[in-house]
Amino acid sequence: MAFVALGPQAPVASQKPTKTGRVALYLLLPGLFYLGLFFLTPLFSLILTSLKAPSATGVIGRYDVALEIGNYGYALGQYAPQIFRSFSFALIATVIALAISYPIAYFIGVTARNRPLLKGMLLTLVIAPFFISMLLRTFAWKQIFSNDSWLLNTLKDIGLMGADSYIIGTDFAVIFGLVYNFIPFMTLPIYASLDRLDLRLVEAGHDLYANSFTTFRKITFPLSMPGVISGTLLTFIPISGDYVVASRDFLGSTDTAMIGNVVEANFLRIQDYPTASALSVLLMAAIVILVSAYVRRSGTEDLL
Amino acid sequence: MKRELPQDPMLRDLVQMARNHQISRRAALAGVGGTAAALTLASCAPADEGQVAATDVSDSEKVLIWHNWPAYMDEDDDGNYPTLERFQAESGISVDYRIEIDDNDTWYAKVKDQLELGADIGADVACPTGWMASRLQNLGYLQTYDNDNMPNKVANIAPSYLGSAEDPDRIYSIPWQAGFAGIGYNKQAYKDATGKDAPGSMADLWAAELKGRVGLLSEMRDTVGLVLLSQGIDITSSSSLSEDAFMAALDAIKEQIDAGQIYNVRGNSYLDDLTTGNIIASTAWSGDITVINYEAGTDDDPEPFGFIFPDSGATLWADVFVTPNGATHKRNVEELINFYYDPANAAELALWVNYITPVVGAQDAAAEVDEELAENQLIFPNADTLSRSKAFRSLTGQEEQRFASAWQNLLLGA
Amino acid sequence: MSADFVARGQDLELESIRKEFPGFVAVDDLDLKIPAGEFFALLGPSGCGKTTTLRMIAGLETPSAGRILIGGNDVTDQKPHQRPVNTVFQNYALFPHMSVEENVAFGLKQRKVDNPQQQAQAALEMVELQHLAARRPQQLSGGQQQRVALARALVNRPALLLLDEPLGALDLKLRRQMQIELKAIQMEVGLTFLHVTHDQEEAMDMADTVAVMNHGHIEQMGAPEALYDRPKTAFVAKFLGQSNIFVGEVAEADDAKLAINFKGNRLAAPAARVEKTKGKVAIGVRPEKTSFHPEKPASDPAVNTLGPGTITDIRFTGVSNQYQIEIPEVGEITVFAQNIGKSPVVELGAEVWVSWKVEHSFGLADLPTGEEEVAE
Repeated sequence: MAFVALGPQAPVASQKPTKTGRVALYLLLPGLFYLGLFFLTPLFSLILTSLKAPSATGVIGRYDVALEIGNYGYALGQYAPQIFRSFSFALIATVIALAISYPIAYFIGVTARNRPLLKGMLLTLVIAPFFISMLLRTFAWKQIFSNDSWLLNTLKDIGLMGADSYIIGTDFAVIFGLVYNFIPFMTLPIYASLDRLDLRLVEAGHDLYANSFTTFRKITFPLSMPGVISGTLLTFIPISGDYVVASRDFLGSTDTAMIGNVVEANFLRIQDYPTASALSVLLMAAIVILVSAYVRRSGTEDLL
Repeated sequence: MKRELPQDPMLRDLVQMARNHQISRRAALAGVGGTAAALTLASCAPADEGQVAATDVSDSEKVLIWHNWPAYMDEDDDGNYPTLERFQAESGISVDYRIEIDDNDTWYAKVKDQLELGADIGADVACPTGWMASRLQNLGYLQTYDNDNMPNKVANIAPSYLGSAEDPDRIYSIPWQAGFAGIGYNKQAYKDATGKDAPGSMADLWAAELKGRVGLLSEMRDTVGLVLLSQGIDITSSSSLSEDAFMAALDAIKEQIDAGQIYNVRGNSYLDDLTTGNIIASTAWSGDITVINYEAGTDDDPEPFGFIFPDSGATLWADVFVTPNGATHKRNVEELINFYYDPANAAELALWVNYITPVVGAQDAAAEVDEELAENQLIFPNADTLSRSKAFRSLTGQEEQRFASAWQNLLLGA
Repeated sequence: MSADFVARGQDLELESIRKEFPGFVAVDDLDLKIPAGEFFALLGPSGCGKTTTLRMIAGLETPSAGRILIGGNDVTDQKPHQRPVNTVFQNYALFPHMSVEENVAFGLKQRKVDNPQQQAQAALEMVELQHLAARRPQQLSGGQQQRVALARALVNRPALLLLDEPLGALDLKLRRQMQIELKAIQMEVGLTFLHVTHDQEEAMDMADTVAVMNHGHIEQMGAPEALYDRPKTAFVAKFLGQSNIFVGEVAEADDAKLAINFKGNRLAAPAARVEKTKGKVAIGVRPEKTSFHPEKPASDPAVNTLGPGTITDIRFTGVSNQYQIEIPEVGEITVFAQNIGKSPVVELGAEVWVSWKVEHSFGLADLPTGEEEVAE
């Protein structure tokens, strides 16, 4: 979806198709075919399903083609808090992930630039979590945060946590899990941007009377914006739809359900496909709108 | 015997969790990829009327595929299934045993489109819970078994399973294992928190001392059923268990959730919450408590966890063999069922899985192996025990939809 | 901001500046003084330490030892943004995410100068780019980018302007043009320019004073003409233009001149133009100071003569011809002859004698590589 949102930034070929233009078109065909088959068809099916009405037969999970716009009203009305929570969590987790990832990416891409061994090791460390299934890693956190874990016992012993308080199932636990799982998606694009950063520009900033902070604010950070944009999109979008971390079986509780959990429950538990589809369409639309506004506002066309 | 777990508690719990979640994870992933496919299929599925059973080829193909729940088959140290291997050796039928069911609803979501088409769901036999089986039966998705091919079943099935209005002779669905849902609790922690030895009623779960340390099963019929029973509702009766009564029970649960009494509402993973100390007590399945005692017990304290029936009664459920219309090896399945209705085989299985066997005579057979286990009321309940448990009545399609929807919304906090 | 910004440039003084990197010494106890308002060139091959020196002055590298003074103030411990110094970087280092005008106004804004836009416009007018103020740097040609970089540095009126091979990326014609403009601007604004380059023509063309740097130290420093006329080391003699160099034992030395015995030939240089009077001495002469003759010239104490030899190569370079003459036992000599019709017409393989006036000879302080003095 990010790519759809980025579409307007891409140069549009306006010339008449020349011979090379036609070859390019042919080369594009498999891609268009793929897009049509695996994106547009399911999207059409999703929208179709979101408008269905329960079957007159009353069979659970059976729906007839209809134009039931009310499904959207129901989805919005019934699940407004979960929708709001999804985007709030996604926003908070993205900001935290950015705050954590940027210094890491900076250290790897700039500070360690001329130390290939250190750089390789740090990059491996960033990527290492991918070697283990995200579900197992989230389980591990569930374990670490469980009430009788050494962490909670320690926190309780030193008085940082009340004896009755807990972590699992709280907003904190879910946001923590989201940040943790998506940090590599934030770090790697920012690293890629900073690794390409021409350090002579930073020197030029210093030379032109800018102190370290100003140089960072006016030069380093703006020049790393493509990475920051990709990183925030790669983090925000999947987090908005995440249904693992916030689920009751992982770090969540009945108080932390996000849209993904609602879609999952409607789809798999109660076979309410129209509501699940309407929610998916709403989620997709909201993300497309948010992301295009964001990309436009951040004005990174020149850098992309 | 269950495979040895690592000694390190952290590792052990992780492995345990991974085992419990093996399937939910697969189901979760299938849910993503399956979404688009299910949508496409859903739109072109024909009506179910007039489904016919597929032609049986059991005579020529000595095979069958079996979908079942995790930890539901006796297993030796090498991960083999002794009773199942014996069946294969004796019958010459090779069985592909797959752990494919973790949750009735998600399993149904996976197979409903094939069921609707009368197509092969990829299994000749599966063991969903009774209420799901009646849904399938009512939709006309199931083949009927031939009692003539299952003399052991006819001879040994516990009489309590017979005589229902839907399936009096048990030819659509045949019990595999049954169990109770009651209250499971951590004995020491419960005593520390409340000063009492054991909970006695559902009301004890709502005690202020247990605030934030109570778990609930996400299985609607068990958790809501227990609450309904505690509210004096007869869950077997459609007049007593009305929609109003159901919604009132949900309100009672919601009140506890909103008050912070409930730590979490979970499926199989409620066991992690019990063993890691996240919760002190929970609505629980009987066999699970036996299993975690087996794993967590020490010489000093062989049974750190307890299981009780609330004074208002426990719920009773049964997982049943069903063969959908699209399956082509029903005859082989009947042979399999017949095998497991042999008391000796049933006893061997029951002693491992710790659930209630529907096979009369299994208790006697078990007593020859393990006297103590044969007296365990959770595995071989006597009439008195059974009388204190009730099965959730069957729901109409519309009731099912409304109840399940309300329950899921409660769990989503919506 | 501790730096003072002045109407005119200030002097720069390096006291025993040293920079060590792991494994080698980049700048080796360098002393240097550049008077205020001078156009000073630091010339040397790559790796000689000239860029490191410039970066230390800019504050982008920290010296291992020594002091840096600008206008008498010790700036050694100041951060780059605190120094009254601006740099025109080798690849311009223009900020790609800012317009040309924003680039030029950057330093002014940091110093909270009034009307930075106006001043930036004025600076762009000076380099005749005011019409491109709104463009992004990557939309400009190389020469235009170079001028933006210059405007961005000059607009701050630094006490010292550092130019790090600023013309290296330009083609020859544009380079010549920019050299002229740069020199004109320097004279107009009266700032102190320190120009680092490996292009000897560029250095000699623009600079008031040229310092030739090699292996982390300055070999020789002076006005371009003086350096060319009287190189004091073999390195300078060869790096700054071409030289014919002959090494031999001192044969006679008196107040007027020094003569060496070069493989049986007596080669002399005026005493005032030699650096060394004992042992093995290298005597050199510029190729354009030499001439050749089809017959052996008459012996003359005021003229050094070598030959006979054979012309092995003739190259026409426009204003002059370049001849390679191979003399047996002596080696190869290069002779430039201007194309003004005075040189004898010769062909490849012709037998010639080479001669030059003793007064054009220069004696070096060291010996060319490979001719090191053998300990006696």
